[in-house]
Amino acid sequence: MEREVIEADLVLPTHLGFKKIQMYEKYPKGQARGRHWKHLKQIIQAENYQNYPPDVPNYINIESPPSMHPCKRICDITGFEAPYYDPRTNLRYANAEVFKAIRSLPNDYVQRYLALRNAAVVLR
Amino acid sequence: MPFISKIQRQTDYSRFPSSHPIVIDNGGSYFRIGWAGEANPRVIFRNIVQRPRHKTTGETVTIVGDHDPALLKYFDCTRSGPRSAFDSNVVYQFEIMEYILDFGFNRLGADGSQIDHPVLITECACNPVQSRSKMAELLFESYGVPSVGLHRTNKHLVLMLHSVTSIINNVGFVIKMALQSAQDLAQVMLSQYDFPSRMSAEGFTYGSDGNSLCVFEFSLSTESQFMKHVAVLISRLTWEKVEDLKMEHCYIAPDYASEVRLFQKGAKEAEEKTRCWQLPWTPSPALEPPSEEEIARKAALKEKQGQRLREMAEAKRSSKINELENESKNLEFLLLQLRHVPENEVPSFLSKTGYVSKQEIESAFTKTTQSLRKYKGELENEEKADLSAAEKYTLINIPDNILTPEQVKEKKRQLFLKTTSEGRQRAKQKRFEEDLERERQNKQDEEKRLENPELYLGQLRAKHRELSEKVEQRKRLKTNGGHSNGNNVSGGVGRGERLNAAQRERMRLLTTAAFDRGKGEDTFGYKDEDWQLYKLMSKDNEDDDEGPDEDEAELGRVSSRLRDIDPTFVSRSEAGPSETSHLRPLTKEDFQIVLGVERFRCPEIIFNPNLIGIDQAGLDEMAGVSITRLPAACQSLDERMTNSILMMGGNCLFPGMAERLEAGIRMIRPCGIPIRVMGASDPILDAWRGAAAYAAGMQFPQQTFSKVDYYEKGEDWLRQYQLRYTF
Repeated sequence: MEREVIEADLVLPTHLGFKKIQMYEKYPKGQARGRHWKHLKQIIQAENYQNYPPDVPNYINIESPPSMHPCKRICDITGFEAPYYDPRTNLRYANAEVFKAIRSLPNDYVQRYLALRNAAVVLR
Repeated sequence: MPFISKIQRQTDYSRFPSSHPIVIDNGGSYFRIGWAGEANPRVIFRNIVQRPRHKTTGETVTIVGDHDPALLKYFDCTRSGPRSAFDSNVVYQFEIMEYILDFGFNRLGADGSQIDHPVLITECACNPVQSRSKMAELLFESYGVPSVGLHRTNKHLVLMLHSVTSIINNVGFVIKMALQSAQDLAQVMLSQYDFPSRMSAEGFTYGSDGNSLCVFEFSLSTESQFMKHVAVLISRLTWEKVEDLKMEHCYIAPDYASEVRLFQKGAKEAEEKTRCWQLPWTPSPALEPPSEEEIARKAALKEKQGQRLREMAEAKRSSKINELENESKNLEFLLLQLRHVPENEVPSFLSKTGYVSKQEIESAFTKTTQSLRKYKGELENEEKADLSAAEKYTLINIPDNILTPEQVKEKKRQLFLKTTSEGRQRAKQKRFEEDLERERQNKQDEEKRLENPELYLGQLRAKHRELSEKVEQRKRLKTNGGHSNGNNVSGGVGRGERLNAAQRERMRLLTTAAFDRGKGEDTFGYKDEDWQLYKLMSKDNEDDDEGPDEDEAELGRVSSRLRDIDPTFVSRSEAGPSETSHLRPLTKEDFQIVLGVERFRCPEIIFNPNLIGIDQAGLDEMAGVSITRLPAACQSLDERMTNSILMMGGNCLFPGMAERLEAGIRMIRPCGIPIRVMGASDPILDAWRGAAAYAAGMQFPQQTFSKVDYYEKGEDWLRQYQLRYTF
C-alpha cells in the first residue's frame, strides 16, 4: 500500500476491535454465496401488507396517489411546451426545427430520450 | 456546495460514559454520526461504499464514503462502482450497511470490545419490518449495542424546531425532500404532525426516481446540445459532477410554462438566466503560416528530391540505352558473321549462339533497335510515324492475292496499327469537341448571367439542389436499399439498413436457396438451374455502376460554376459535420455546455412527476392529499396546519422552492386560508440536531428497545413496536 493511502486512512481495516462478529467471519473469503439480500419489491411482498388494516399507515398505503391534474406535455429535446407528437419515434416536439432534429436522431438516442419518461420500448 | 464531509478520526470516545447515546442520521446520501446533546455531528460522509482492487497488491479493499479522488488512482475502480445500501428510502443491503457503520464507528473513535452506548438511528417513515429487524440484528449482534432507537427523521426536525422556535403553534406540517444520490431516489416525504392530540396521521411518501433521473436527464439534455462531443462528455460526466451542477445551477421556476416561454422567445431575461459551463479546454496550438525561410527550405528540399529522382531516372535510362546498344551491336555482328558462314555450317553456328534461325536474329535485332529508338526519343519517332502515314501503310490498298504470305502478315499488322492510331485520333477529336461544347455552354451561361444575374443565380442554385438531391437519393438507394429512415443526414442506422441493396439481395438468394429446397435432404446442385444462383449473386454486385455519371457530371459542372460566381456557396459534401471538424479548429464554444431550460426543467420533476413518466401527484398536490387523509377530528386544524409548513431536506436548497410550494398549495386549498412556508434553518443538519437533542432528553431511555427485549421477543415484536413520543 502506498504511503499517502495509508496516511489518508482511506481503506477500512478488516479487523475492528469493537465488533463482536468480524466481516471476514460473517462473509468468509473465497466462498461463493448467493444473493443474500432482497430487493425492496420482494421485501414489500414478504410483508403481506394486504392483511393489515387499511387505516393504519404502512409503507404501501402512504404512497402518493396519481395526480388529478392533466399531464403536461413538454418537448423531449428542448423542454418547451410540445403541441406535437411524432408517431414514428413517439417523441414530443415543440416546433419544426426540433422535428428535423428528431428525425435525424439515431434510434438509440430516441430510445434514451423515451426512457427518460418511461416510454421506451423495453425488450424482455 | 452545501455538503461537506468530515471524516477526521475523533479522539475523545472514551470520555463519554456508556449511557451517553450515539446519534446516527442514516440518510440516503449522507451518513452523519455524533454524540447526543451536541450541536453538530462529529463525522459526516457520503453514504456509499466502493470495493476496488488495489492495483499493485491485487487485494480487494473497502472504501467508505467520498475521498480525495487523487488517491483512488492506486485502485482499479473499473470493476465496481460506488454502491449504496438503499433501495428507494429503505435499507436493503446490510452488508454495505455494515461497512458504513464500521467506518462511522471507527471514525468516531470507538475502541473497546463492543459499542456500549445506546444508538439512535433514523429510518424512513413506515419502514418495512424486514429492514427494521435486520438493522436491529446488525446493531445488536455485530456491534453489541445495548439498546436501539429507530426513529423517523422528520419527527426530530419538528422537535428541533419546536424547541428552538415557537412558530409551530403546536400544529405543523412538514415536508421533507431528501436530496439523494447514487441509485437512490429523491424522496419527498410529507408528514403531518399534530401535537396536542398526539396522533400521528402518517404522511405520504412520494417515491420517484427524481434524482437519479434528474441526473440522466441532465446529461441527456446537455448532450443534445452538442452531439459532437458526446463521447467526451459521457465519459467525463459522472453523476457526482452532475449532482454538483444541479446544486449549483438549478432553480425552481415560479411557473414552468411561462418561464419556458421566455426561453422559447429568446427574451433578454432568458439570456441572462442561461449559464455556460465551460469544460476544460486548451487552445490547440495555432497553425502559424510558414515563414518565408521555411517555404524556401521546403521548396529547396523538394527540388533536391526531384533532382535526385530525375538523376536516377536518367541513369537508369542511359544504362538501359547502353545495354540495348550493346545488344544491337552484338546482333549486328552476329548477322555479319552469319553472312560469311557457309550454308551448311549455319545450324551448328546458330546452336552456339542460342538462336534457332536467321529470322529470329533479325527480329530480335529490329526489336532492340526499335526499343533503342524509343528510349532515345519517342517524340521524333511518333512525328515521323504521323508524317509517313501514307508510306507506312503501303500494303493496305493492295489486294491480298498479289501478295506473298509474308506480305499478307505485314498487311494485317499495318491494318491493326492504322485502326488503333485512327481510334486515338478520333478520341482526341471528341475531347476537343467536348471542350468546345463546354466552352459554348459556359458562354451561354455567362450571357444569361449578364442579362439577369439574380435570376440566373437562383436558377443555378435550384438546379444544383435538384441535382444533388437526385445524386444523394441514388447513393442512398444504393447503400440503403430504399429503406431510408426518414432522415437525410444519417445514412445507415438500425439493423435493417446496415447492408446495401446488393448485399441484401445476396443474403436473400442464399436464404431462399437454403430453405426452399425439399425437406430433409439437400438436393442443391442436382439440377443445372441451381448453379444459376451463383451467377445472379455475382451479377448483383456489379450492375449498379451503370450510368449515374451524367447527373454527377452535370452536378460537378454546376457546382464548380456556382463556386466561381457565388461567394456564399458551400457544396453539400463540404458542409457535412465530420468535414467541418477537420477543417475548423475547435473553439472554446465547442467545449461549453449551455444550461438554459435545463436549469429549471430538472427540479420541475418534483412538482410534475409526469414529466418522467411517473404517475403520481406532485409535491404541492400531495400536501392537499395528505390533509384530506387526516381523520375528521383533525380537519378543524387545517388552517393552523397550512400556516406553518416546514421544508427540510436537500432539495429545498433550490432557490424558488418556498415560493413555488406556497403557490401550489394555495391553488388547492380553500380561498383565504393563511399559508406560510418556511425552510429549516439548516435543512441538511437540522434533522440530526433534532435527533441529538431528543436523545439527550430524559425520556429517551424509555423509548428505545433493548438487547434483552430483542433476544426474548425476537424480531417480530418490532412489528408492534410503535413509539409513542413524549416530550
